[in-house]
This record gives sequence, structure tokens and C-alpha cells, in this order.
Amino acid sequence: MKKFVSLLLALMLVLTSSFAMAESVADLAKAAESMTHDELVEKALAEEGTFIVYGNTSRIVTAAEAFSALYNIPFEGSNLKDAEIYTKLANEIEGKAKGADMVMIQDGASLQSMAIDTGYLVNFVPASVKATVAEGDQNPLIHQFINKVFIWNNKGENVPAITNVWQLTEPQYKGNIVFKAPDAEQVNMNFLVMLTSEEWSGKLAEAYKNLYGKEIELGDCENAGYKWIAEFLGNCVFGNSDTTLAEELSQETAAGKLGLFVLSKLRSSSVYTENLTVGQYLASETGTAIEPFSGFMYPMYAMLSSNASRPYTAMLFIEYLMGADGFHPWGKSIGAYSTNTAIAPLEGDLALDVWKSSLVMEDPEYILDNYEDVYSFVTMYLQ
Amino acid sequence: MLNPFSSRQRARLRAFFSKPANIILVVFFVALCFLTLYPLILLFLETVTVHAGKEMRATKLGAGSLTLYSLERIFATAKNSYSSLTFYEPLMNTMAVAITASMISIIFGGSVAWLITRTNLKFKKFISTVFVFPYIMPAWTLATFWQTFFKNVNVGAGTSNGIMASVFGVYMPEWFVYGYFPISLVIGLHYAPFAYILIGGILRNMDANLEEAATILKTPRWRVMLRITLPIVKPALLSTLLLVFSSAMSAYSVPVFLGSPVRYYVLSTKMMSLINNYPGQGYVIAAVMIIFGVTILAVNQRITGSRKSYTTVTGKSSQISLVNLRKLNVPIAVILTVILLMVAVVPLLTFAMESVIIKAGDYSLSNMTLDFWIGTNLDYLDQGDSTGILLSAKVLKALGFSLLLAITCSVIAGTSGVLVGYGIVKRRGSKLATAVSNLSFFPYLMPSLAFGAIYLAMSTRIPGLQGFVVLALIGSVKYLPFASRSGVNAMLQLSGEIEEAAVIVGVPWYKRMLRILFPIQKSSFLSGYLLPMVSCMRELSLFVLLVPTSNTLLTTMLMQYSEKGWAQFGNAINLLIIVVVLLVNFLVNKLTGASIDKGVGG
Repeated sequence: MKKFVSLLLALMLVLTSSFAMAESVADLAKAAESMTHDELVEKALAEEGTFIVYGNTSRIVTAAEAFSALYNIPFEGSNLKDAEIYTKLANEIEGKAKGADMVMIQDGASLQSMAIDTGYLVNFVPASVKATVAEGDQNPLIHQFINKVFIWNNKGENVPAITNVWQLTEPQYKGNIVFKAPDAEQVNMNFLVMLTSEEWSGKLAEAYKNLYGKEIELGDCENAGYKWIAEFLGNCVFGNSDTTLAEELSQETAAGKLGLFVLSKLRSSSVYTENLTVGQYLASETGTAIEPFSGFMYPMYAMLSSNASRPYTAMLFIEYLMGADGFHPWGKSIGAYSTNTAIAPLEGDLALDVWKSSLVMEDPEYILDNYEDVYSFVTMYLQ
Repeated sequence: MLNPFSSRQRARLRAFFSKPANIILVVFFVALCFLTLYPLILLFLETVTVHAGKEMRATKLGAGSLTLYSLERIFATAKNSYSSLTFYEPLMNTMAVAITASMISIIFGGSVAWLITRTNLKFKKFISTVFVFPYIMPAWTLATFWQTFFKNVNVGAGTSNGIMASVFGVYMPEWFVYGYFPISLVIGLHYAPFAYILIGGILRNMDANLEEAATILKTPRWRVMLRITLPIVKPALLSTLLLVFSSAMSAYSVPVFLGSPVRYYVLSTKMMSLINNYPGQGYVIAAVMIIFGVTILAVNQRITGSRKSYTTVTGKSSQISLVNLRKLNVPIAVILTVILLMVAVVPLLTFAMESVIIKAGDYSLSNMTLDFWIGTNLDYLDQGDSTGILLSAKVLKALGFSLLLAITCSVIAGTSGVLVGYGIVKRRGSKLATAVSNLSFFPYLMPSLAFGAIYLAMSTRIPGLQGFVVLALIGSVKYLPFASRSGVNAMLQLSGEIEEAAVIVGVPWYKRMLRILFPIQKSSFLSGYLLPMVSCMRELSLFVLLVPTSNTLLTTMLMQYSEKGWAQFGNAINLLIIVVVLLVNFLVNKLTGASIDKGVGG
């Protein structure tokens, strides 16, 4: 009888352990959310093989390098485009091949439909930041926000110091606004989709009234959001890269022009920063805000691959990224905002809260539901 | 025992397969069906399949379900003029560009071919050497050069001046800088060498007796040209026209650089902008491009069919009196030389220049640095990379990968070309030979980008068809037409007796190939290796959808840098690609005598 019990126990042990082995990355991540830093380190160091990260920002490689040196973990980091990341994830996960452990990516709508709905990526919030990251930014976990704001050339006599976005739809701005083509960058399209929402079309209608003293006439447009998109895009010229737009707009020859692009490009050595004025900075100084927004902001997410072969290392890396050292590659210059409130914004830049209240934010669900309509509407104004 | 074949049939089969030519043809027939027809079927399936992501939201169906959604969106959606803006207008633009570009190629390339083969033009050697440069160089070379040279504050994004405006004070209008005109011109110039090689080949090999007879009878020159020369090269002209048309139709990089600043879309650029959000619609456009390609193949088949009767008149005429250009000689030579310098040399100098300046448009010495080439710790530049390209492990790795891929594709395509050439010529006239001949030419007419899309569809269904394997496979198949063409030409020139002598004394087949046939036609065969290699090194459209990451190949890396706006690194990489390609071409040419024009020339 004794023998039988011990045999049964042994069998149960084998069963549970094999069950444990089959535990999914999602389960591991859930369980690890209460682990301390030291526990994570211990688990991570026990793992084997190369740690692989993908990110659509070149700085992910710098961060991974520092992380790898800190814990002596061999790594491979790739800076890829969003679509490349999804294709690779799909191939790796469907084909059960070794691939990414961790992914850093933008465009919440695509993330939702391509990677979360499909179960390719798994959320993990390290215990260390549970209290310092706003709850709304925790699932999926947002590592940082990046902003694209109205920036204008301050040379010459016609400095486009706007205070209301409807000014941009006026005839004198025809051909004087530079914007990366929304069909070339997803987050730009997402911004336009958001403008058609009830919230933003309402604010736009109000801003119109404040500027011109009369109600907006919609014509064929569904709401004020669509109307603004049509007229704004009609005045835009489109570029292929924010870096080039920033460089070009900063030239003396670009006097009288305005752009809507990534604030962080101002740090580039090829940009004449002194020739540019950031709308929101000016607004914060003078107290006159740009109505109803001074640009838009989009999140950069940090998630685990459901196929991770070093899941704990990936969790440790996310914990590292959420801290000051991990954020440093981005945080050392303006235009990137950690969601971790323990990390103060860079001197000279504004706090995340200020930006959140003056910029258009993404709502992935709204974007997914309305994408097709706005996409085809926008196509009309890209010609 | 069940046996489907009677003994007689078995004997016939055995006899059939005892000939190496038959085995080759059967093997290639099966392989090419699998590599061209099967993926084609998959592509058509993709156009009616729901893909993960936004298509699922739009159709409210699960991934993998069947739907007419993509077809309907592309062909028949009136709301917001969607179909018209997404498909019909780009289609019209594509047609306009392809027709203009092929006319430019034919007229420019054809004239130069005539000048080189039929007149006493000066600087012939220089002109004929440099003329093929634009074909060897990546297509976007001229496009980016055009943009850097002519952009100004009045056109496109209009924020800075290029060389023409800042140095010469000349502001070119928008139609000249962006859109239909420059796209057609640049593509036309890129393929002009192709026309030059094809038409020049015919002119060179053409029996000049007819022309001479006419000359002896005191027929005026223009009449000889109109009544004899042109009719003889007409089939070649038409055939070249179609080939250039099909290449121009799938050009991707040129419209990206010269079209997108003014939102001038062609099918290829529209397809690329759709493929991430709505892959189904991207595949529909790819399918349309392929249908055009196949139609062109059919037309070309009819024309080359009639061409054969002309080429049977080959055998070089001993002497042909060259047209004396007299007073026009020097002006024409000088004009041509200047054009060639502008097209083939100045762009390289511009790239070199743009790769050493920090802030665009400032050409003072204080704004120059070699950091983009050989610098370290370049974080201050904030352009993604922290080392110059010659020291960057990432760039060197991509260079190695590009070279390895180019060599692999050239070995596979080149060798297949020799074998296919042997098989087709030995069994000339048989149905199987004709089928293999058509199949091996088919990939040429597949627009590169669409062909890439097909293989992408295939790679998601076949495990292991990833990374290097799929790139090498598609490269080999896509460049097979070049190789099989030179293989066929080389074999046609060989008399059957040479091999027969060896057959009689019982020399095995592989030895006959290696010891007799290959050595005799070495330079022709090797040319069939060279062209795939060079094309592969500078290829973007074919690989852009299939690379594991943008950093895999130099060309895709370049495209990524250009998208990110890291101009200086981009220019440096561009120059690196061109130098490597020219170097490879030069080395192979010097070492083996193979040359691009032999590879393409008829």
C-alpha cells in the first residue's frame, strides 16, 4: 500500500511538473507580476540561449546592449518596421521556431488586431512600476509616449504662429504645411482617424466657432473632424520621413512654413534647431494654447512574445526598460515621455500630463472600428 | 503485377529518358511549373482570403475565410472614389509611364546602337562602355540624383533648394521635378542600355549584304535606313519595347522617390502602401500586374516567332561601310559624352558629396565630415548608427549577405541556363522544348514586386521557405530568363557534329558538357552567370517583401535609411552598392571575357 501511495505521488509529481513545463508564457507572466527584482534576475539567469528583441525604434538595440552588459546575457537586437515585426512573429509562432522574446512596437490599433487578438504578444507589468504607471497605461503596457507637434519656421516676416488649428485650413497655408504622408506612417493615419471621433469632432466644431464666431457648415462631411481633415490635407505637402521634414523645415529657405512631425527630431545634428519654434512650448510660455490641440501623441508598447524561449529574461528586460537606466536611450533628449512617473521629464521639456491634455491621443478600438472609412476618405486628399 | 505501361510504351519511355536533353527538359518543366505556376495559383487565392488584422474588422470574418472584399474594394467601390483613386488612376499612370519610358529607351538606345554599329562616330569605345552603366547601376540612382539636383522651394515639400536652384539660380517647374515626366525619363534612361544591347546585337549580327546591295545601287542613305535596316530590326524593336514596357510597369523605387512627394501613384507604389493594412487588396493589384505581364508574353511570343526568320540570315558580313557623319560627328559625340557623364558619372560624385556633409545644402568645408564612412561614436549625429558604414558590422554583414545571395543566384540561374539552353536546342521544335522555353522566360515578365508578393504568399504556407532560401530561390528563378537566353544562343551557335563525335566514341554526357561544349562557348555561358549576379546585387523590388529584416540586404537597408531620412548614411551605402557592382562587372569581364551585353544580346 505504501508503495502504491508513493508511486501515485511520484506520478502526480511527474504530471504536475510536465504540466508546469507546458505552462504558457502568459501564465508565467501573470505569476511573475508579483515577483521581486531579485527573483526575476535569478529566473532570468537560469535561462539559456540568446535573448532576442525586436523593436521599431533604433534605440531598442542600444538599450538591449546595456542590459546585456549588466547581466551578462547574450542578446540579438533588431530594429524592424512594424509590418516586418508582425510577419516575423506570425512565422515564428505558427512555425514554433526560435524567435523574439520581447517586442517594442507602436500603433496600438495594429497591435490589437495583429498581435493581441491573435495571442502573439503577452502583457507583463513588473511589480516595480505597478504603482507609478497610470492604470490606463498598463494593459497593454506602454513604455513611453512620443509626440508629433506643430512646429514652424520662425524666420522671415510671415511666421505661422497659429493659435487655432482651423487657421491651417485657410488659403494662405496652401502648400506651406509639411506632414509625413499618412499612408506612409500608421500613427499619422491613426491621428486622423481619432479626429473623426465624437470627442474630437466636437472640440473641432467648438474651435471653429471660437475662431470665426459662427457655427461650422459641414457640407458633405460627416462631422467637423472629417471637414478639418479634408481642408488640412488639402493644404499639406507630404514628405516621406520626419527627419527630412525637420531638416528641410529648419532651413532659412523654408520661412513661412509649418510642419506636424516628431518633436524628438529637433535633437538631430542636421537640423537648424534655432530656426524652429514649437507651438506648444510657445503656448505654455504665453498661456495661449493652440485650440483644440497642438499635435498628437502615440504610445510605444513593450510586450513579451508568447513564443519566448527566455521569458523571464524578457520580463527582466521590460522591468529594466521601465526604469531610469532603461529609458535613458530615449529620455536623454526631448520628445519621449516615460509612463513611469518616477522618471521626470527632461529639463526644458514639458511633463507627460501637460502633453496628454493638449494632444490627440490614440484609442485603438475606435481606430479599428473606423479605419476603413477614414482611410478611404483620406485617400481622396492624398492626390 | 499491375503495370500501366505496355512493354512498347516502356521501351519508348526508356528511349526517351536515355537522352540527357529529355531528362533536363522534364526536370525543368516540373520545377518551373512548381516555381511559377503554383505560386501564381496561391496569389489568386490570397486575393479572396481574409488576412489577420484590419481585413478581419472590415469583413467581420475570421482570418482565412473566403471573401470578395478585396476584389470589391479595388474594382468596384464608389464611395470616396476609392477604386478610382486606389486602382484606376494608378493604372492609368502606370500605363503612361511604361509607354513613355519604353519609347525613350527604344529611341535613345536604338539611336546609339545605330551610331555605334553603323557610323564612324568618335569616342565609340568610351560611349559603348559607359552607356551600359545606368543599366548596371540601381534604378533609383538616377531618381535620387534627379531629386537632389532639381528640387527647389517651389515644388513638392518645397523647403530647400537643390544644386540647380542654389548654384545656378534656376527653378524648374513641378512637372519637371516630380511626377510623370521625370519618372518616365529616368526609367527610360535606365533601360536604354537594354535597348542598346538588344538592337545593337541585331545590327551587329545582321547580314549587311542587303544594305550594301542597296548602296551599290545608289539608294540614298535614308531610304536604306527606312526600307531595309528598320524592317529588319523591327521585330527586335517591338520585342525590346515590350520587355522594357514590362520592366517599367513594375518599377518601384523610381516612383517612390520621384512620385510620392507629389502623390503621383503607380500600381507598384499603391500596392506597397496597401500591403501592410490590407494585404488582400495589395495582392489584387499584384495579380493585375501579372495578367499584364502574361499578355505581353503572349504578344512577344508572336513577334519573336516571326523574328526567327530574320535571324536565320545571320553570319556576319565581312565588311560594312560605315556611314560618314562628317561635320556632325564631333557634335554628336560630344553631346552623347556629356549626356553619359550626366547620367553615369555626375550622380556618383553627388552621392560622394552628399555623404560627407552634415547639414543639407551647406557645402562649406566646416560642414563636412568623413564620419558617415569611417567615424565611431556617432551618437551626436543622431542618425541611428553610431559607426561609419565601412566600420559598421551591420553594413558589412549586409554586404556579405548581398554578395553571397548574388553569387548563389548567379550559380543556380547560370547553370540552369546552360542546361535549359542545351535541352531546348537539342529538342528544338518539340512541344516540351517550347513549353520549357516559355516557362523559363515567364519570370521575366512577372513584375518583380508582384513576383515577390507571390513568393511571400508561398513562404507563409511552406515551412522552411524563409530567409536566405526564399531569396535565393526567387532570385534564381527571376534571373533564369537572362541565363537561359544566353544558354540557348550559345548552343545555337554550336554545330551538332562537335558533340556527335564525342557521342560516337562513348564520352559520357557530363564530360561532353564540361570538356567540349562549355569550354568552346565559355564567354557566352559566363555572361549568363554575370547578368544574374549584377542584377541581384542591385535588386530591390524583388526582395523587399521577402527579406527577414530591412538590414538583410544592402538595397533594403538603403531603402530603410531613406525612409528614416538618414540621408548621408544612405548616400554612402548607395555609393558602396554601385562601386561593388561596377567592380564585380569589371573583374568578371577582365577575368573571363564575359560581359553584360553578351548576356542580353541576341
